[in-house]
Order: sequence, then structure tokens, then C-alpha cells
Amino acid sequence: MAINKPYNNRAWLGVLPVLLIVAFSAVIPLMTVVNYSIQDILDFNSRFYVGLDWYRETLQDPRFIDAFGRQVLFSLSVLAIEIPLGILVARGLPKSGAWTSVLLILLAVPLLIPWNVVGTIWQIYARSDIGLLGVGLNELGLAFNYTSNPTHAWLTLIAMDVWHWTSLVALLSFAGLTSVPPAYYQAAELDGASKWQVFRYVEMPRLGGVLVIAVLLRLMDSFMIYTEPFVLTGGGPGNATTFLSQYLATMAVGQFDLGPAAAFSVIYFLFILLFCWIFYNSVMLDNTVGDNEARYHD
Amino acid sequence: MLRIQNVLLNPGLNCGFDHNFLPGGMTVVLGRNQAGKTNLCRLIAGLSTQAAGELSLNNTPLNKLSPQKRSVAVVFQAFVNYPNWSVQQNIASPMVAAGRDKAYIQGRVVGLAEKLGLGELLQRMPNELSGGQQQRLAIARALAKEAQVLLLDEPLVNLDYKLREALALELRSLLDDSDTTVIYTTTDPKDAFTLGDDLLLLDGGGKLQAGAPLSVYQKPNTFAAANLMSDPCINTFAWSTLTDQAFAQQCQAASDVSQLGGVRPEHLFFVDKSEFNATECVGFDLQVSALETSGDETFVHGLVQASNHGLVDQPAWVVRSPGMLNFSQGQELLVAARKRDILAFGGQ
Amino acid sequence: MANIILDEVGFAYPGAFEPTLLPLSVEIKDGEAFALLGASGAGKTTLLNLLSGLLVPTTGRILFDGVDVSALSGSQRNLAQVFQFPVLYESLTIADNLAFPLRARKAVNGFSAADIASRVAKIAGELEIENLLKRKPKTLSLFQKQLVAIGRALMRPDVSVVLLDEPLTAVEPRTKWQLRQSLKRLQEELGVTMIYVTHDQTEALTFADRVAVMAAGKILQTASPQEVYEHPAHEFVGFFIGSPGMNFVAIDPAAPAPMYAASGVDQSAQRIGFRPEWARLENPSEQRMSSAAHWPGKVQYCQILGTQDGAPVGVTIIASAVGELKVRGPINAIVGDEIVVVVDRFVSFCEEQYIATHYAPRGSDDVLENSANSAGDE
Repeated sequence: MAINKPYNNRAWLGVLPVLLIVAFSAVIPLMTVVNYSIQDILDFNSRFYVGLDWYRETLQDPRFIDAFGRQVLFSLSVLAIEIPLGILVARGLPKSGAWTSVLLILLAVPLLIPWNVVGTIWQIYARSDIGLLGVGLNELGLAFNYTSNPTHAWLTLIAMDVWHWTSLVALLSFAGLTSVPPAYYQAAELDGASKWQVFRYVEMPRLGGVLVIAVLLRLMDSFMIYTEPFVLTGGGPGNATTFLSQYLATMAVGQFDLGPAAAFSVIYFLFILLFCWIFYNSVMLDNTVGDNEARYHD
Repeated sequence: MLRIQNVLLNPGLNCGFDHNFLPGGMTVVLGRNQAGKTNLCRLIAGLSTQAAGELSLNNTPLNKLSPQKRSVAVVFQAFVNYPNWSVQQNIASPMVAAGRDKAYIQGRVVGLAEKLGLGELLQRMPNELSGGQQQRLAIARALAKEAQVLLLDEPLVNLDYKLREALALELRSLLDDSDTTVIYTTTDPKDAFTLGDDLLLLDGGGKLQAGAPLSVYQKPNTFAAANLMSDPCINTFAWSTLTDQAFAQQCQAASDVSQLGGVRPEHLFFVDKSEFNATECVGFDLQVSALETSGDETFVHGLVQASNHGLVDQPAWVVRSPGMLNFSQGQELLVAARKRDILAFGGQ
Repeated sequence: MANIILDEVGFAYPGAFEPTLLPLSVEIKDGEAFALLGASGAGKTTLLNLLSGLLVPTTGRILFDGVDVSALSGSQRNLAQVFQFPVLYESLTIADNLAFPLRARKAVNGFSAADIASRVAKIAGELEIENLLKRKPKTLSLFQKQLVAIGRALMRPDVSVVLLDEPLTAVEPRTKWQLRQSLKRLQEELGVTMIYVTHDQTEALTFADRVAVMAAGKILQTASPQEVYEHPAHEFVGFFIGSPGMNFVAIDPAAPAPMYAASGVDQSAQRIGFRPEWARLENPSEQRMSSAAHWPGKVQYCQILGTQDGAPVGVTIIASAVGELKVRGPINAIVGDEIVVVVDRFVSFCEEQYIATHYAPRGSDDVLENSANSAGDE
């Protein structure tokens, strides 16, 4: 039942300060970047209009393509682990009782740590000379060294991201699962459903909406990842773990090549925008699961 | 007096309706689910709703006033009380908001609590009360506001059957002697009789009929209006199937284009062929298909030839008869109704 | 289809001050339509949960066909349940929803796909929902969804008992009639043992072969609807059933009026009750000095419920020397009239069968305070 709120123009005045701030801190810089992306800047006084040249160059740059490939691989890998693991953890949590609050808080802790601290924790943790994990693995006979072995660096990065972000998926799934009224579980049990069938037919339909949010959030965020890999591996060994954001930073800040960097930024921005749009549309989709119990209480 | 004009309860409708609510009396708004009763309440209370219309109370227009400024109190279907305040604080809340002095508030709180049977529960919290007590608390709080209009939106529907019966009578005696305009919405026609000085029938967002409950019951304008006041539905038949065609012509002339007549389930009774009085009654042949007994009443479900007219999708009849009857399935009986109880409708 | 015996079953939540259910015994016959009727808080939901295996009895045992199932879970007891709101698998079609209980136990009961399909068709046919089989739950109305839920409960041919927990709560008043009829017809045709829990007396009395009336954790009477209506074994039963419930009058044992004796009331009875439908109103001037019991009083309120022969009928409330009396029938008096209530039919109650205070909405909603062990068996 849609509800029409009374229309009041004065509400725009409340939004004005926000609009100004956003304009100042986001829109103007964005426009500046777009401006740079279509110019060749040698120094402040000599700028030439080059049209879409930088865009073409960037999209054909082999290092850009490599970084993009690595980025996609990384995002998909962490998603493939975090989503199922998060659901599993959520199912394992008790739905009510004293332990629930304790466990929820414990789960939330990794989410609260500043990202560069996360990177630092893992950087030390995985070091093969003084890190608990690194030394432990070496003791077990694996010649583990993330600074020299690209595969090890990847695995460490993925492990770090999973440790950092699985809790988000777990918490979201938990919220979805607790919305299932006990009658559904009881009915499934009486029907003789196996545990797998209960998961598939009772829990998954409810989790559907929540999972879309979880997937898109994680996809967006992992695509933008910068601090943690930078702190952990610095992009190395070599280029092995240089993702899009880091490559961009190197280009813009390190080499001060503003034109191509700007074009790169715009391309990057458009990707994230695309994910955002998909996210927005999914969240706004009508979800009628749960309409049954809306009016009636036990 | 509370007046509503050009009220459109559903945005899809073309023309709105008007109604003047009985000042100082109880108006029952009767309608099925989704008929627009809650929209009407929200419109009068000033809460956001898709209904639109002009309201005036004692000739002061209400539309521009926010809910706080209107002299309207509402009791909702779900027992809505402030969960973190005790019963005493809950009842006092509208008076505190209005800025009354302490002594006055104290006196009113105690008085209202006594009236509604909450006298010993003043220090309890709402979640410690039973359903019936919570709803009575909501009513006490609404009464404490001393508003000119009191809206009750299906307040008893979430309560047990017996509690509902008892509270409905209670409400009647409670609200009878005040000059608040009370509007009570419900889906149960029994409430219309118990609580209503005036009745307003709603269907699909539109006004069907209004008037004293008994007169709406005896003279419904349309099929839908008749149906609303009968539980189970009205039994219908085609005029052409009556044996007494003179009577049928008379009734058809009185109504508009309707080819259907109706009779309420409670107005049908079983007669022996020998005792059937053709001048006063109209008879139908009923073949029993099922029987339901409920203490002092029997519901006989059956098929009547006259109802097989293909105009309305309700071929099975229900007869509501006092006492416990015993018929077998398939038994053929003569069921009759007095001519004055036969209903003729204007329009479908 | 099973015969169910509750043998001195009692239940108390751990740490609770008082038990929710006092030890009770009742037998539900195989293939019977049985109703559990009571107000909220009477313990009927607890009893339902004990039957469905959600709770384990604190005392006593539950027997299905002579086998003690008290420790077994619901699925082990092979029962089915219909809830207050339709509980369906949202991602499956209606046909798959119906087939689910049979498919889930395929390994156990060896149903072939063809068997399952024919059973689905049969049940769908009985409920007249064949045209819905390919649709998904979210496209159905609430009434249709509840029909499907009932169908799913009836799918297993060997189901021991079907428990229905106020299944008509969510359904619109107009469609309640249809649903009730379908349910009753199915119960008779399939011969399934059904236990129907409700607080609505019409639902209980029209559905059941036998009704058990519960209050405050006890079963007060288990009998056929007619018996429960005409010969209540406890004042609460007399009060709870009937709209409105019975009137109760105290007899002074020192001076019992001869009029009661003429109506066949036991000499030792101290309270008698009569239903509003059994009483009639007479004008004091016209009153024939019959031997029937009568009380003069003043009309306080007339509640009109409809018309008969064009005259209003309903409930008249009269204030008399023995308390407030309600009479149901034609309303031929107005407020303030002096009138006489005449009754020629009573039920008598002894001390164990009293309601301590009348079920009054004032104060607490608790009713029974001093009822000792009362009749609970058939």
C-alpha cells in the first residue's frame, strides 16, 4: 500500500547544505578529472586537447589489461569463498540466547579494524621470519614466503580479505535467517525434509534478497580495494598483486601523468557506477516473501 | 459535527462521496477487508494515506491541520501503547502533551482506569498485560485525550471471541454517555447492531448506504449492501422462478433493473407443505447438501432450483435456523420466507 | 489415522511457578473430528505443541495407537499440521508444494513418481484447486494458500493425525464458511483424525464430532457439540458456549423456591444456569402464575441482532434481584420496562463446577480460581 506523504517544498532547504558540500568535495573534483582526461598536460601552462586519445590508450595498455584481469580474478575468488562461508557461519549461530550477542560482537570485530591496520596485521602475521603464520607454515615444511612467491602472495591476500569481510556476509545472512518464522521450520520437519531441503526450500528463498545485497556490496568493495594489498605486498612480488587501484595510484601520483591517469579514473569510476546501479535496482525490487505473516501474530 | 466531502478512498475511483457523521453518537463503518475503512480513519486523523477529501469539524476545515492539532483520538487494531511507560503514564500521556496540571491528570487517570477495569494495574508495563487489557489501555489513552472525535479501527479483531463479545457491550456503555463523535470500523455485521446509532457501508472505497442499522438491514439498496449485513451471504434467486408471479412483478417494479431477489439466511424457515401459507410467504424447494450445527443454531446448506440462474456465482443456499435440526443429505424440503422479508435490489 | 490417548499429561515450563497444563487424560478416536476449544491462555496451544512433538510432557504419556510417542519428534510421529497463516514453500509451484511430503519420504514409503502425481491430482481435486497447480504461492490469495496448506497436510495417506491451529484466523469472514465446509467434507471422506484448536465456538461446534472445552490448563468437558451445549458439565462451559453464554443464579439452600423443584432441579443444587435462548419475557400483568421459574426485573439494555417477521430480535439485558439476566429472542420491551423473565429449563451445578467470578472483562482475564478436579473425560 503506497503512502503519499504530503508534498512540502520547504524540504529542499534542508537538503541545500548537503548539496553544496557534495558539490564542493565531489562534483567539482570529478569534473576536473574528466577535464584532465581529455587533455595532455605537460605542465600547468601547456595543455592540449586530445579528445578520447587517453581513453583509447588506457584501454589498450597491456599493463591496464593485466591489472584489470588480476582485479577480476581477485574479486571473484573472494566472493566465491566469502558468500558460502558467510552463510555457513550464519546458520551456525544460535538464533537467540546469551551467546548470540557475544558471537555477533565477535563477528563484527574484523569489520571495525581500520583497513591499513588489517593490512599491517597480516603483513606481520604472514612473514616467514617473525610472523606466526609464516613461521608455522615453514615449520610444517612448506617453503612459504609471500614476498617472493606470487602464488603465496595471492593466497595471503585472499585469506586476509576473507578474514576481513566474511563477517559482513555472515551478519547480513543472519538477519535474513532470523526473519523466518519458526512455523516454517516446523512444517518442513513434519514433512520429513532433510537438512539440505530445509536450507534450500525454507532458508534460501528468504536469503535471496539479502544475498543480492551482500554480493553486490562485496563486489563493489573488492573492486576498489587499495589499502590492504598495498600495505601487505605493495603490489609485488613484481606486478603479481598489482590491482587496478594501485596501478592508477602509481600512474597519477608516482609518474604524475595526469591525462592518462584521469582517463583511467573515469573508466574505473564508471565500472563502480555500473555496480552501484545494479545494486540500487535489486534493492528496490519488490520482495513479497514474508507477506503471509504480516498481519497476524501468534 | 464531523463532515466529510468528496472523499476518494481509493485513487482509482472517479467520484467521491459525502457523509455527515452523527454528532455525539456512534457511527459504525462496515465493510469487507480492503474496502477503505482504514484509509478513512487515517484521513480523518490526518495521517498519511492515499485517500483524499475535504473534512470539517463544526464548520472548521480540518485538512490543513496536522494530526496533533486535530481533536481526534485513534485506537488501532494492533494494541498500540508506549512500551516503556507504565499504564499510568500511558493514560496520562495525552494530557501531559496538552499541558494540563498534575492534579487534573491524576484524577482523570484514576477515573479512566477504574472505568476500564485497569484500576489495579496502574504500575504495570504494557508487555505484562494480556491482549484484552492492552486494548483497554489503548482505549483509555484515547479517551484521555478528550477529543471531539474518537476513531476505533477494528479494535477488537485481534481478541478472543468471548472477550470481543464482552468488550463490545462494555464499549457501548462506556461511550454512550459522552458527546464524543465515535467512529467504529468493523467487518462484522453484529457490531453494527451492538454499537451503532448510525451505519455507513463501504465497498471498494465507495459509500454503499448509510442510515440506522435496522433500516439498512431491512431495506438495503443494493446486493452488496445486503450482503454486508448478512453472515453468511444473502441467498439469491431469479424473479422469474417464483410461483407467485404477481408478487414477483410487484417487487421487480419496485426495484430498478435487477432480475435478482434476495432473502437473508436467518429469515428462511422450514415448513410442511400443508402448513404453507401462500399469501404471506414465498416458498422454495431445497435439496440438503450439508448440515452444520452450532449449539442453538443449525446452518443448512442446500441447492435451490430458483437460484440456478447463472447471474451470480452463488448457487448454494444457506438457511440459518434456530434449534438443532436433523436432516439427511439429499433430503428435499420446502423452505419459506415471509413476503416482507424478501429483498428487492436496485441495480446489481 | 491413529487413535490418540493422553494419559495424565501435564506440562510446566522449567522454572515456571505454576504448571501450564494440569495432568489431564483424553482419548481421541481414530478418524474422529475433534476440537479443542478455549480462550487464550487456556493451554490449548501448549497441548497442541505436546501433541506435535515440539514439547515433551513433564508428566504422563502420549500414546498413538498404543505406542508411547512422548519422546518422539513430530516427524517420527508421522503427523501433519496446519498453522494460523499459510506456510508454503515460496520457491516451488503448488504442485511441488503438495508433492513435497511424499517426495521427502520417498525412500521410506516407496512412492513412485506416478503414485505421487495421482495423489496430488486427487487431493487437488477434492479441494478444487486443480487450476492452481502450476502457479507459485505468491500469486494466490490467502484463502487459496490456506487451502493448499490443508492439502499438503493431507497428502500422506498414512498420516496419523492432522493438527489444525486456528486455521481460519487469517481468512476473511466470508470465505471462512467455504473453508470450514471443505475441511469437514475432506475429514469425512478421507477419514483422517483431525484435531482442531480454536477459540471460536462456532468453528468448534460445526466441525467436531466431539469438543473438549479447556480453561486454565484443564479440560472441563469432552462431549459431542450437542451435549456440551445442552448439558454443560461446568459453569465455564455453559458460559463459554453460546452467544451470549449462560445466566447463573444462586439458590438459597435454606429457602429454595418451589418453582425450581417443579422444573426438576436437584434439591441439593446451589447454583443453576439457563441459556438466554431458554428464557422468555412476559409482562408482569399478564404473567400466568405457572409453576415455571420466574424473576421480575427491569430492562437495562436491548441489543438488536436482526429481525424475525419484521420484528426485532436480539438479547435483552435485565437487572433483577438475582443479578443481571440475559434473554435472547424477540425484543418486545424497551429500556426501563418492568418485565418478568420466565424459564422452564435449567442445568444445575455443584460447588466443584463454579466459576469463582463471572468472566468479567474487568481486572484480570483469568476466570477459574477455585475449581477443583473437574470432569475431563467423556
